[in-house]
Amino acid sequence: MDQIFHNLVIGFGVAVTPINLLFALIGCLLGTLIGVLPGIGPVATIAMLLPITFNLSPVGALIMLAGIYYGAQYGGSTTAILVNIPGEASSVVTCLDGYQMARQGRAGPALATAAIGSFFAGCVATVIIAVAAPPLAEVALKFGPAEYFSLMVFGLIAATVLAHGSLIKAIAMVIWGLLFGLVGTDVNSGVLRFSFGIPELSDGIGFVIVAMGMFGTAEIVANLEMKEQREIFTSKVKNLWPTKQDFKDAWASVLRGTALGSALGILPGGGALLASFGAYSLEKKISKHPEKFGKGAIEGVAAPESANNAGAQTSFIPMLTLGIPSNAVMALMIGALMIQGIAPGPQVMNEKPQLFWGLIASMWVGNLMLIILNLPLIGMWVKLLTVPYRYLFPSILVFMAIGVYSLSNNAFDVLIMGVFGVVGYICAKLECEPAPMILGFILGPLMEENLRRAMLLSRGDPTVFFTKPISAGFMIASVILLIGVALPAIRKKREEVFVEEG
Amino acid sequence: MKIKSQKDFWSGLMFVGSGLFFAFWAMAFYQMGTAVRMGPAYFPTVLGFLLAVLGALVLLESLTLEPEGDQAVHTPFNIIDLVVTVAIYAILIVLSQTFSLASEWPILGGTIIVSLLTVVFRPDAKPIVLVTAATIAYGYLMKPLGLVIATAALVYISALGGHEFKWKEVTILFIILVLFSVLVFVKGLTLPFPIWPEYFS
Repeated sequence: MDQIFHNLVIGFGVAVTPINLLFALIGCLLGTLIGVLPGIGPVATIAMLLPITFNLSPVGALIMLAGIYYGAQYGGSTTAILVNIPGEASSVVTCLDGYQMARQGRAGPALATAAIGSFFAGCVATVIIAVAAPPLAEVALKFGPAEYFSLMVFGLIAATVLAHGSLIKAIAMVIWGLLFGLVGTDVNSGVLRFSFGIPELSDGIGFVIVAMGMFGTAEIVANLEMKEQREIFTSKVKNLWPTKQDFKDAWASVLRGTALGSALGILPGGGALLASFGAYSLEKKISKHPEKFGKGAIEGVAAPESANNAGAQTSFIPMLTLGIPSNAVMALMIGALMIQGIAPGPQVMNEKPQLFWGLIASMWVGNLMLIILNLPLIGMWVKLLTVPYRYLFPSILVFMAIGVYSLSNNAFDVLIMGVFGVVGYICAKLECEPAPMILGFILGPLMEENLRRAMLLSRGDPTVFFTKPISAGFMIASVILLIGVALPAIRKKREEVFVEEG
Repeated sequence: MKIKSQKDFWSGLMFVGSGLFFAFWAMAFYQMGTAVRMGPAYFPTVLGFLLAVLGALVLLESLTLEPEGDQAVHTPFNIIDLVVTVAIYAILIVLSQTFSLASEWPILGGTIIVSLLTVVFRPDAKPIVLVTAATIAYGYLMKPLGLVIATAALVYISALGGHEFKWKEVTILFIILVLFSVLVFVKGLTLPFPIWPEYFS
């Protein structure tokens, strides 16, 4: 306990220096901005800013990027409640009850509940990270190559299981990502793989470039193909403060949302999106008045909004302690660390306590800023929504192109982004999820490296992954996950076939 | 044999094709090594075949399982258009190599040809083609012509991919974006971009 307190003191010492406060503020404002605006998410934004962070201090860069991620969770709810459009994917369920509350003239309490719930969840999640990270990092330090390989297998399987849509397609996308990740020089032999004589490919394909193409370009095009229609809920936001009855209805939902969100955030493949969906269905299941959901139940706003913020923050735990990304945003954070010359992994906590605890403390500071800033600024954010998309998308494209071009001042990178934009577009049309592919892409070289080392140490005996206890645990967990998801799917499809024949 | 899910059929085909490509390419050109000392071909070969097997499963499903929901693929272009596009770039690259031109020319030329073909024959594909073309133009015009002209190319071409195109609006947007780029990225963050064409400054 003393240790935690001591660590948090170090952290706050770093987080409240004026320059880092400024970075947290920039991150939170930017995050809220892109959260409010539909059609641009934290992945594309962080990818865009990644090259710029090269000029910042490591801790400042991470504080700002983290602020964008959890700031987006706050901003997304504003759009969901007032416009019935999820500004952020994780706010999809907030639309259901939040917009209904707004229609009943209770937009103020809905916004306030979302903000207060998010703030509470953010505080709890910060404490969870501070308590859970050190022991996890301790365990992770004992990991050998076999454990790391199995952990990555588990992480990738979990990511596919939690992705919606076909399981086989999701696993295929992961392997696709792993293969694309192998392009470039093989570190062991120095052989150029899959570079087809193109010198720019000898260092591999930049992760940021793939992410921008698959998420950025593909998303812009998807928005352009839809007809532009955005009706703003024009009622003035007044009576911000929820009533006593609202508090009574919502506090338990906030607690449950926070707990569920924190748990789902730690899981590989989890994070804000899964957390909000999980929390909403849990609330609906245990509520005494499930019929009220979808008609403006305050619980339906409080639980998912708390959950998505908690999940956004606890998803930092596997990234900070194991060096393994649990979602695309965390993969970008690892990219940010590597740009700064820091190898992500359990050693970061001991070698760079300022960075580690500074980041954690900044999350609490950022959450405080968000709640103080956001409620008074809601009017401004709403005004932003009236900006038509035909002004927004060329601007977003300019920032994407600048971001990618400045990585190495090379037009070829922009071309690769274009190619992956088309790939991402086709994948979306074929219902193949891009997120598992991105995870595979970043883990590809790491996985190969650890597989090679593990096999070298075991003299070519593949059973090593099942005889070492921790590694075996991960492998068994992966198999259970796979079977657990595969079974009902098979059963369901079979039933349908039988119905057809009968 | 009837295809029951177009989406699964094409994605299965995509996975089988690329899996086999990676596996055979690796086997043909890189050292396999042994399980103890894996060569550069080992991991990609294993992954490639695994991907091909999964792709085959998806393919099989697309032919046998009754699909849920809409399984037609709604793209504004078809597979032949894709092949034509790739062929245009391939021919231009081969041509540029025989005349030993810089690699920028076939990319820019191909992008212009594909964009024009799209506008004339596949107007529904304008968003995906023009947005992609706009970013490619930006990247390849930056070094020779500078930030201002590259931004102009990006803003005007991408705006053509949208629903509405008004010269006045797009020009105002372009001016704002150029000013912002110059002030924030070149002056503020000191990114080494040329602002004007080389012989100009």
